[in-house]
Amino acid sequence: MEKIANKVRETARLALANGEVNKILGWKKGDFWYDSYPAFITEEEGTASLIWDSFCVANLSKYLIEQLKEDIKVGVFLKGCDARAFNQLLKDNRVDRDKVVIYGLPCPGMIDPEKVKKAGLAKGLLDVQKSEDEVVFITKEGEQKFSAREFAYDKCLTCQYPNPVVYDELLAEEVERNNTTEYFYQDVEEIEKMSPDERFAYWVEQFSKCIRCNACRNVCPACSCEKCIFDNSKANVAGKAKVDSEEQFFHIVRAYHVAGRCVDCGECSRVCPVGIPLAKLNRKIIKDITEFYGEHNAGVNPSLDAPLETFKLEDIDPFETRAKGGK
Amino acid sequence: MQRIGVFVCWCGTNIAGTVDIDQVKQAAEKIPGVVNVQDYQYMCSEVGQNLIKNAIKEQKLDRVVIASCSPRMHEATFRKAAKSAGLNPYLVEIANIREQCSWVHKNKEEATEKAIALVRAAVAKATLNTELVPGEIGVEPRALEIGGGIAGIQTALDIAEAGYKVDIIEKTPSIGGKMAQIDKTFPTLDCSACILTPKMVDASTHPNINLYTYSEVEAVQGYVGNFEVTIRQKARSVNADKCTGCGICTDKCPSKKAESEFDEGLRKRGAIYIPFPQAVPNVPVIDREECLKFKTGKCGLCERVCPSGAIEFNQEDTLVTQKYGAIVVATGYDLINLDKFGEYPYTEHPDVITSLEFERLTSAAGPTAGKFLRPSNGNKPKKVVFVQCVGSRDKSSRGKTYCSKICCMYTAKHAMLIKEKYPEIEVYVFYIDVRTPGKNFDEFQRRAVEEYGVNYIKGMVGKVFPEGDKLQVHGVDALSSETLIIDADMVVLAAATKAKDDAQELGRKLSISTDANNFFTEAHPKLRPVETHSAGIYLAGACQGPKDIPETVAQSSAAAAKAIGLLNKGKLVNNPCVSQVDEQICSGCLACTKMCPYEAISSQVIEVKEQGKIVKKTVAHVNEALCQGCGGCTVTCRAGALDLKGFMNRQILAEVDAICL
Repeated sequence: MEKIANKVRETARLALANGEVNKILGWKKGDFWYDSYPAFITEEEGTASLIWDSFCVANLSKYLIEQLKEDIKVGVFLKGCDARAFNQLLKDNRVDRDKVVIYGLPCPGMIDPEKVKKAGLAKGLLDVQKSEDEVVFITKEGEQKFSAREFAYDKCLTCQYPNPVVYDELLAEEVERNNTTEYFYQDVEEIEKMSPDERFAYWVEQFSKCIRCNACRNVCPACSCEKCIFDNSKANVAGKAKVDSEEQFFHIVRAYHVAGRCVDCGECSRVCPVGIPLAKLNRKIIKDITEFYGEHNAGVNPSLDAPLETFKLEDIDPFETRAKGGK
Repeated sequence: MQRIGVFVCWCGTNIAGTVDIDQVKQAAEKIPGVVNVQDYQYMCSEVGQNLIKNAIKEQKLDRVVIASCSPRMHEATFRKAAKSAGLNPYLVEIANIREQCSWVHKNKEEATEKAIALVRAAVAKATLNTELVPGEIGVEPRALEIGGGIAGIQTALDIAEAGYKVDIIEKTPSIGGKMAQIDKTFPTLDCSACILTPKMVDASTHPNINLYTYSEVEAVQGYVGNFEVTIRQKARSVNADKCTGCGICTDKCPSKKAESEFDEGLRKRGAIYIPFPQAVPNVPVIDREECLKFKTGKCGLCERVCPSGAIEFNQEDTLVTQKYGAIVVATGYDLINLDKFGEYPYTEHPDVITSLEFERLTSAAGPTAGKFLRPSNGNKPKKVVFVQCVGSRDKSSRGKTYCSKICCMYTAKHAMLIKEKYPEIEVYVFYIDVRTPGKNFDEFQRRAVEEYGVNYIKGMVGKVFPEGDKLQVHGVDALSSETLIIDADMVVLAAATKAKDDAQELGRKLSISTDANNFFTEAHPKLRPVETHSAGIYLAGACQGPKDIPETVAQSSAAAAKAIGLLNKGKLVNNPCVSQVDEQICSGCLACTKMCPYEAISSQVIEVKEQGKIVKKTVAHVNEALCQGCGGCTVTCRAGALDLKGFMNRQILAEVDAICL
């Protein structure tokens, strides 16, 4: 990864130097080993701080909405899931393709700090290095090697699009599509197996944890509205009371608003500070759409219209094909 | 605070019989904003309307809620009344306590409670109503007639006579429809061709009528007064301008295997053919499925013999787009397929025929030149059995639940036609009921029995067995409970009528609805029988339900009157309840443009000020002339940037809140 990181820095430096772009969106390192956060760089020398490591999980594409309001050209580093997000933003007319230069980064999968902490390896950790399928934890005491799969994000384990689906320049060789042993919809099927009552109880419990910090909404590349309906006091949809039904309403409406547009980046689950498995809701809808209308991977091909936004005569009628209150 | 008046209508006992009007009044008086509550037996009557008008003036009402029937019934009436009293008509709100309450409930207590909730909801919505002002749109002074049967011809002639241009689209190569196939018409037994063909000629020669035969509706866009219809003119392979209709090509065509559609398959026709001698236009068409030139590349005989060089093998379908102010749908009907009626060996035995085939067999212009002969051997039959209700009034899935309406009369006619020409033939009619309402209809049927000695047997036929060269008909006389076996020579089946197979597809193109049997639905079964729910689209003839010729012609002239009324207006008032975009909130995702069925939403780039900077952004833009106010876009818009005037999201939510109270 370090070799590619050098290329990231060099590419960014050159792009700013020769005026190809006015601003670079990348990642830089924070205070902690797991801390790789978005960086906005306009000066050539700033590019030295750019990194590419196993914690560059943050999706940079959504920042483009704000950045592109200025009349500038922006260079951005995008992974597989980030690139799908970019395409979805393109589809929703939220970004201007002509004002963006995309440096594609085939993604080997990111490390989940929570898994590291859970394994008791976080104490005294200085650095984490990742090769193709190995991860090395370096402490003062020495090095420990593990299989990288053990510490990858769940979403990375089932990732179907590690390589960017859109880019101007690809900075590394494409990685192989994840031949995962994990079944793609395992998480959804766990929910589907529950009885309606169990399922209701499950979600009531999950949503009761919500503190309405809006992190899920802010990180979501499909949640790109100029003004969210929940922030529009005139719309009168959001109540002010701190009751569970308000949170439930918010999350269900959000799931429907991103239905057919969710690029399955899993960021909503990742950023949730109270650990609500939000992506499960979206993935259930993706699974249903696939079953009803055939595979539609939002953000993979922006020229295709989403099945829920179009009507074809041959479309199935889910109310006829599925029993009421079905799976 | 608003000054809202609530007017509760009894609708005679329609509402008052199930809803306690006094309780509704008392509850309404307590709703904040309501300053005046009155009730009356018939609010829609002049006295009732005056009650509302006076209250608006005297009580200075700024909103009016009328608890009465469905807004589809009288919203326009009450809006007009409000307007005449100086109130913007869109400040009137209807609480439907008839169709949605009194008519569907029996328990007075519960119905009253529901009526109160509906009034509360209407008041909640009315509180948020705003004044709306409709715009004006022009009307294209041209009508389109879909279907060239008697219904289409009659409507077109009436509209043309009123001075407006009419185009007729006919799917087959000639106008005329089913009536052209019929021999004689009931109840007068006059010749169908004699009364129809002059009308066909009138239609083709009228300066205001233009025929598109062998053509279909490809697409329909636009709205009342301004429809834009794309017509597909199928390739005839014959140049209509050059063709003189001499008929040499049809005589010489070596391929004579195709079954004549006009003669119901009882005669063969060439691959190049004119459907029938009186066809309009008198121009042949090449059936490309049958033509040797198209099938094998060889032949081309017609091209060589045509004296005017009218044969054009390389002709292609052409698309014509034309604007219309009004559309009349008159696509007619068909008979059901009898494959599933195994008890009558229709598909196996040539002497078991449908009533329409019978028409061709007795027609002087038919395959037997009017001689009534058995299709199997050409001999004259001695006994003929008619079976009525084959698939009509049939609750099984193979038939139709409705009465086909025309069969009792035409079967009596058929029986009489046989007896008239050949009194020695024995004629039996099996029936469930004989239904002959209509002017001179019952007299007609009785003549068949009393004067012509037709044997009417109440009962159904169980099975028809081919036995030697006879057809053994096993039936039951329900009145005597006797089992009957009749050795018939021919069996004529009164097959049920059905809507055209492509009715739904056409309905979809026109945005008009079809019922469970695929017949087009009229806007109101009693008061708006020729209108559809889509403004500017009217219905004529059997496409709306089974009909005989007199009824069809009456409805056609009614549809014409409606179309003329529309075309004559010149200008229409726009529905002001259209969508509007809040450009500040719109993110420009344009999901609405994809969902809008009227293509009323497009995108535009605007400049907005954001934190002191001018920023360009894409937003949705509603064409108010095209928007029909369906509200589809408002639910597509995630941010709620689209809202429907008159039905704003917050108005709907206020209604919901009021009901849930």
